[in-house]
Amino acid sequence: MKMSLIVRTTTKLISPFLVAYSAYLMIYGHLSPGGGFQAGVILAVSVILLITSHGYKRVRKTFKFWEVQLIEGASGGFLVLLATVGILFGGFFYNFLRGGDFGSLLSGGIIPLFNIGVALKVGAAFTFMFYILLRWVERD
Amino acid sequence: MIPLIVAFPLIMAFLTSILPALRREKFSKYLFLIGMLSSWIILPQIIENLPFNEIVGNWNRISGIEVAADNYNLLFIMAELILSAFVALYVYGNYYPKKIENKAYVLLLLLHAGLLGAFISRDLFNYYIYMEIASVASFALVGISKEKGARRAAFKYAIFSLLASYIFILGIGIIYLKTGYLNLALIKENLRMSREINVALTLAFTSLLLKSGIFPLHFWLPDAHSKADAPISALLSGLVVKAPAYGMILLTLTFPIGIFVQRTLLTLAFLSMFFGIAMAILQKNSERLLAYHTVSQMGYVLLGIALLNPLGAAYYALAHALFKGGLFLSVGTIAEHYNTRDLEKLSYRSSKLLAIAIILLSLAIGGISPFIGAFGKSKISEGLYGFLKYLLYLGGIGTLVSFTKLNYYLSKRKEKAEIPRKKTIIPLLLGTLTLVGGIYLYPHLNILKDLSSIAMAFILFYLLKNLGVFEISTEAFIPEQFSSLGKEINAYMFLFTALLLLFLLNFL
Repeated sequence: MKMSLIVRTTTKLISPFLVAYSAYLMIYGHLSPGGGFQAGVILAVSVILLITSHGYKRVRKTFKFWEVQLIEGASGGFLVLLATVGILFGGFFYNFLRGGDFGSLLSGGIIPLFNIGVALKVGAAFTFMFYILLRWVERD
Repeated sequence: MIPLIVAFPLIMAFLTSILPALRREKFSKYLFLIGMLSSWIILPQIIENLPFNEIVGNWNRISGIEVAADNYNLLFIMAELILSAFVALYVYGNYYPKKIENKAYVLLLLLHAGLLGAFISRDLFNYYIYMEIASVASFALVGISKEKGARRAAFKYAIFSLLASYIFILGIGIIYLKTGYLNLALIKENLRMSREINVALTLAFTSLLLKSGIFPLHFWLPDAHSKADAPISALLSGLVVKAPAYGMILLTLTFPIGIFVQRTLLTLAFLSMFFGIAMAILQKNSERLLAYHTVSQMGYVLLGIALLNPLGAAYYALAHALFKGGLFLSVGTIAEHYNTRDLEKLSYRSSKLLAIAIILLSLAIGGISPFIGAFGKSKISEGLYGFLKYLLYLGGIGTLVSFTKLNYYLSKRKEKAEIPRKKTIIPLLLGTLTLVGGIYLYPHLNILKDLSSIAMAFILFYLLKNLGVFEISTEAFIPEQFSSLGKEINAYMFLFTALLLLFLLNFL
């Protein structure tokens, strides 16, 4: 499932930019348009582009199956844990890290943390789904 | 505090899912047990501050998501916690083969978290999301069963359950469009009835009826519930069909329900009750018999909802969760050890504890008086008038006839099978719980009525047996085209659409 040289070079060039864009979306999600889910989808697209151009077997060597599985579960657990820590400060999902000036990065409290967690969860989950489907398609 | 009841199983589900990546699969059963039982820690605090509501994250009501516990949903939460604890103990250990053990545990934890989340929520969209988590987990759990035809049943279940979900969310969307809120308390404050709200209510009620398996829309239920493994069937019949029933209770508490809607629901409830019994009497497969009883018993729950008696419906849902869960666990255990689900080959002679459990649970489902079933029935029949009370009584006798048949076949002496002690004790505990719970909640004995209904059930059973009713094969009534799954789904889809259009045209 290898595509032509032009496609492979282009996707290799584009993928890092997509990761950077996704990182911007997840960190600045509370200040600008975007947020966890969108960032996660773009994160997943950066891997899925590589899969379509280089083939599943090649990509699996760099982004290992168990790593993706670990990130997926761990970020999900992190999200619920972060919400549970709020109980100590006043309530489930309570924003206990308030601070910073209006409009600055730190003013979001735990919201950027949530965005990062959601982005990793969504990105890993989409990649994981692709891996499982492709493992089934390319099993011969 | 209330959201923690969902948070613990959810954390454990995520932690269990990363264990294969770390090559520590052997710990998954401990995490599973912690996740299934940890919600009990929160329960005393919820009961202490009843009724209790909380907006998640301490936001105000308009921007936050509200969760609450009150007299109605506490019963659903109790049913969930009790039955899932028993199922967790049943599955714990080596019920599932090593290869799928981890996945089954994660799915069970997600099912548990989803059901609890649906039962505590006071926000339509949040309720929908959690019900979906529970449904998606249950499709997969039906699909991993060893039984032949399980995947086909799971596919059918998935198609119709997802169809119901989409139609339900369309209804929610219309409600949101017209009132501007998803929070039920705020909707109630700002509600002005209009044609659009009527359409939304019709869509929501029809889809919830499909999801809870009420008579004309029950077609997916017997397959899905009878092909799954015994503990999964117990959860599906005991709890998963209760989530849509809870949704209907939320809707009836929020919106004014017209007399016509009420009459329709009442008719459907009685139709479902008697259809379920009639089909159950004809079944030869033990699990299918119990699955058709779920159709019939959901009719009782719907009866409570239709009479605007949500407390009665909630109590009956609790009672049904206990005895139907116990029945699926006990009969399923026997069926598993005999390696068949054919009633004529099964017997409980080889295990006395299971025999006692099944007899106790059969009496409970028939509504015999010190058991919890009698309490549920007395709560439901409060608002009933005239001849409908006799119809309810007749339904009880029908249920007893069908369970006389089950016990008659099971009590015959057949070849022996070794059944491990743990698997017999859990159904027995559930059986005694129905007795103890019934005595605690409703200490009334009604010996004359009970004895006469048991006697009538025995007479009817022998009459039907001598008439040869039990020899009738239900397979002969299934159209030939239904052997291909696509045609079957198309036919049922047509039925659902016709019913939806009928309701829409009448309720407008």
